[in-house]
Amino acid sequence: MQSSRNLTLLLFLLSPVASIAQAKSRHTVAGTVKDKSTGETLIGASVVLLERPGNGSVTNAYGFYSITAPAGEYRLVISFSSYRTDTVAITLDKDIALPIALTAGKELQEVVVSAGKRNSNITQSLMGVQKLSTNEIKNVPVLFGEKDILKTIQLLPGIQSAGDGNSGFFVRGGSADQNLILLDEATVYNPSHLLGFFSTFNSDAIKDVTVYKGGMPAQYGGRLSSVLDVKMNDGNDQKYGVSGGLGLIASHINVEGPIVKNRGSFDISARRTYADLFLKLSKDTTIKHSTLYFYDINAKADYSLGDNDKVYFSGYLGQDKLGVQDQFGINWGNSTATLRWNHIFSNRLFSNTSLIYSNYEYNIGVSSNNDNVTIASRIVDGHFKEDFQYYAGPSSKLDFGIDVIHHTLSPGVINSSESSSFNSLDLQKKYSLESAAYISHEWSPSPNWNFTYGLRLTVFNVLGPGDFYTYNQVGEAVDTAAYRSGQIVKTFVKPEPRFSTSYQLNSVSSLKLAYSRNVQNLHLLSNSTSSNPTDLWIPSSNNVLPEIADQVSLGYYRNFHNNGYEFSSEVYYKNLQNQIDYKNGAQLIANENVESQLLFGSGRAYGLELYLKKKYGKLTGWVSYTLSRSELKIPGINNDTYFPSRQDEPQNISIVGMYKAGKKWTLSATWVYNTGYPVSWPSGKYDVNGQPVYLYTQRNDYRMPAYHRLDLGATVLAKKTAKFESSWTFSVYNAYDRQNAYTITFRQSKTNPDQTEAVRTTLFGIIPSVTYNFKF
Amino acid sequence: MTPNSRFNIIYILPFLALGACQKVVHLDLKTTSPELDIQGDITNMAGPYTVSLTQSVDFYADNVYPTVSGAIVKVTDSTAGVTDSLTESAPGIYSTHLLQGVPGHTYSMYVNSGGNIYTASSTMPQPVTLDSITFTTVPRSGGKNTIQPIPNFQDPAGIANYYQFVLYVNGNQLQKTFVFDDEFSDGRYIHEALETDTADVKSGNTLQLDLYCIDKPIYNYFNEIVQITDPNSQSQNAAPANPDSNITGGALGYFSAHTVSAKTILVP
Repeated sequence: MQSSRNLTLLLFLLSPVASIAQAKSRHTVAGTVKDKSTGETLIGASVVLLERPGNGSVTNAYGFYSITAPAGEYRLVISFSSYRTDTVAITLDKDIALPIALTAGKELQEVVVSAGKRNSNITQSLMGVQKLSTNEIKNVPVLFGEKDILKTIQLLPGIQSAGDGNSGFFVRGGSADQNLILLDEATVYNPSHLLGFFSTFNSDAIKDVTVYKGGMPAQYGGRLSSVLDVKMNDGNDQKYGVSGGLGLIASHINVEGPIVKNRGSFDISARRTYADLFLKLSKDTTIKHSTLYFYDINAKADYSLGDNDKVYFSGYLGQDKLGVQDQFGINWGNSTATLRWNHIFSNRLFSNTSLIYSNYEYNIGVSSNNDNVTIASRIVDGHFKEDFQYYAGPSSKLDFGIDVIHHTLSPGVINSSESSSFNSLDLQKKYSLESAAYISHEWSPSPNWNFTYGLRLTVFNVLGPGDFYTYNQVGEAVDTAAYRSGQIVKTFVKPEPRFSTSYQLNSVSSLKLAYSRNVQNLHLLSNSTSSNPTDLWIPSSNNVLPEIADQVSLGYYRNFHNNGYEFSSEVYYKNLQNQIDYKNGAQLIANENVESQLLFGSGRAYGLELYLKKKYGKLTGWVSYTLSRSELKIPGINNDTYFPSRQDEPQNISIVGMYKAGKKWTLSATWVYNTGYPVSWPSGKYDVNGQPVYLYTQRNDYRMPAYHRLDLGATVLAKKTAKFESSWTFSVYNAYDRQNAYTITFRQSKTNPDQTEAVRTTLFGIIPSVTYNFKF
Repeated sequence: MTPNSRFNIIYILPFLALGACQKVVHLDLKTTSPELDIQGDITNMAGPYTVSLTQSVDFYADNVYPTVSGAIVKVTDSTAGVTDSLTESAPGIYSTHLLQGVPGHTYSMYVNSGGNIYTASSTMPQPVTLDSITFTTVPRSGGKNTIQPIPNFQDPAGIANYYQFVLYVNGNQLQKTFVFDDEFSDGRYIHEALETDTADVKSGNTLQLDLYCIDKPIYNYFNEIVQITDPNSQSQNAAPANPDSNITGGALGYFSAHTVSAKTILVP
């Protein structure tokens, strides 16, 4: 009959739709990507379905990936630099758990599968991100032959060195305290040893280094300019290994191995300088009896409680000691401990819970002339973090979580003896709670578009107990308010929107745009040229507002030669609020009223960063060029106009090259150049009590001479068997002995007392070094 | 001079040990038009007291500062209500006639030079007596030992005291500034060494040490002078600037009413 035939026809027409609808059911393949021989999880490995190139995942900080796709037959392609790309055939008809183990080795020059993410710099939406591989860190020559992450990242565009003898760095014109430095999620407050010659990162223990300069994702916050996220090695979960190096100034050793084979591992690294042994050789009695050393220990252990649960423990302990005979001594150091628990709820929901402890302290002892004074200061953080990653769909991922840190800042406890000229003093401690909640969506509406957008909401509570002062114009305390323990003195609620997008023009080029707002509630007070271990951290308060930065950046990226060359160009503009400066003659040390010594203004920074990297072949390396400005405007200084800040170095060039000459030799060279930083120099002089005093006109109206330097290095493989490997590294720091100015000071001429002169002090001339490396 | 000022020296040590080197360099510094420099001192010693008027010069010029004559200079003891009109006794030096410095009195200065008016005010603190001078030997790298003088005196408890020390070695004033405040030392017996260099004080020298009690604005002024003239402080100072003078009107220099307690000793 007509109606039943129509019904049959309808059913017939609908059935393919029905079967298509059924075929569109989605399933998820997820797992962890590891190194086959060591069990080390791989961070940032690319996992892609060959048949759906836009549908991929990048492993997270714990090596976890998750891909959702319609049911079907696929080939999963997993790739990571310095590892052989792996392809696995899967039938995605239900949710699959698929752990991956990659073999280390050279990438073949012709990559059969072009979807392999060698062009991840083109496709991922995040911009202003730089990653360093451990290979790059190992081969770049640095001071005294010691590999140093902090020095190596300063060779990347937009990241500038704070100068010789200083391990601080400036990112996109921001000051050194605007960088959040994390070691396995714990904050490192002072990342320098020996006043900045070395950093606290022992590259033996480090697995991954990522720097976020702009377009920071919502998971990160707390500082204005950057996040340096350093992750430690988990350790070899299959066999034991010992490696190390013996150098002229310092030695380091690394021991790793399984706790339970394939389930748990540990990694311990230790490092110590023995510069003081050289001091003992000196005939000079002062130098002979002086102390100068540092040591640090990195420890990590992890254990899998099951397929879906893994716990980690990371710890760091470092100490510096500097002393002149028994008259004066200072020691300082960081210690951190992190306990983490990964839990995989399902193929799509990954969680990490962290409990973190972070401590930085310094102790000074002065013992001379009947004066016995000790000064102690510390910062202690107790930190809880919960991060979720929800892989919602084929092109949609949600990151959300909370982050709570309790800070206790103890500015100084001074103890003096009875006969001392000084009183004992206990500066009041400052307590605060820094909390954040964030949510971020990574979304790809079409194969060419990628968005990452989110919001981070920061709440900062200033807590009692304590007395809180209000000051007048002249810096006198006019009001004191007392608070009890745990009472909230002031609360700052600040939303931080984050947005970044990338548009792929084709498989080798893309455009990116990003906007982010960052807020900073801990401020480092330092009115000296170099970073000192005694610089003071203070929290936001009724007198000190949170610093705010808004950054917009735009970039164009292009890969050449089958992704063998990476080119990127980024322009950025940053607007900064509530920037801190200091009154003339500001007393920052042991001052209960230190907040009265501060001035507040605004800043701006903008620039162009160009970067060209050659990734494969015998010769690898990169060239980076940054053209930028960084300015401050402080009421009362330079007639309230913008003046260049300490971080203003308009031109910055780094050229890094590594050459594999044959089977045994690796050569490397680095050349850096930057415009001298702004300084205030006198334009005249006048008499005060018979002494010539220098006359200043404007702040930062001159510049230091330009800084440039060439470093060379060569590593030669001495012995390589299945069980043992050794090599020698020769390096020359400052190969053409450029006398770079560390400081320029002014004094009365030693030859002609009627004249005054300028004196340049150079810290490092040419310094050769040799290190012996071994590995069992 | 706080415990922290010692630290500046310590930071230099590793650099010297590692072979840092120094060299005199010629910088392309701007020139400036001369600025007026007024220096006035009223003490509790017998008068006359002087106010000197000179001018600044360019950095690479000789340390010869042009004097300024023909200015009108007056100093008033506001507490006693006495005004003294100073007269020019030597080029650029204006001397008082009848004023006597009394601790606790406030003095104000008036200068009219080239049609511009400059004023300042300073209150003379109560005197503190310098008990004695002792010495300490500080080891320095290079095998040299530096002899440093130590003023010994009792800081009065309960009030904020500010001190300045002036040294004369064999009759010549040492061209260095030393200041101290009792912020960390209230009520203590003070025996802090003055940080002189190796060449400043030598065995066999005759040393005269003057202890001044100064008021807070003058302490801030001279403390800022130390920060821009002392080599260790200079190398650490990120933002050197002209010290905040207590003279209004835009002149360099200072006006200080201070007490003096002096002792002389032979350096052992």
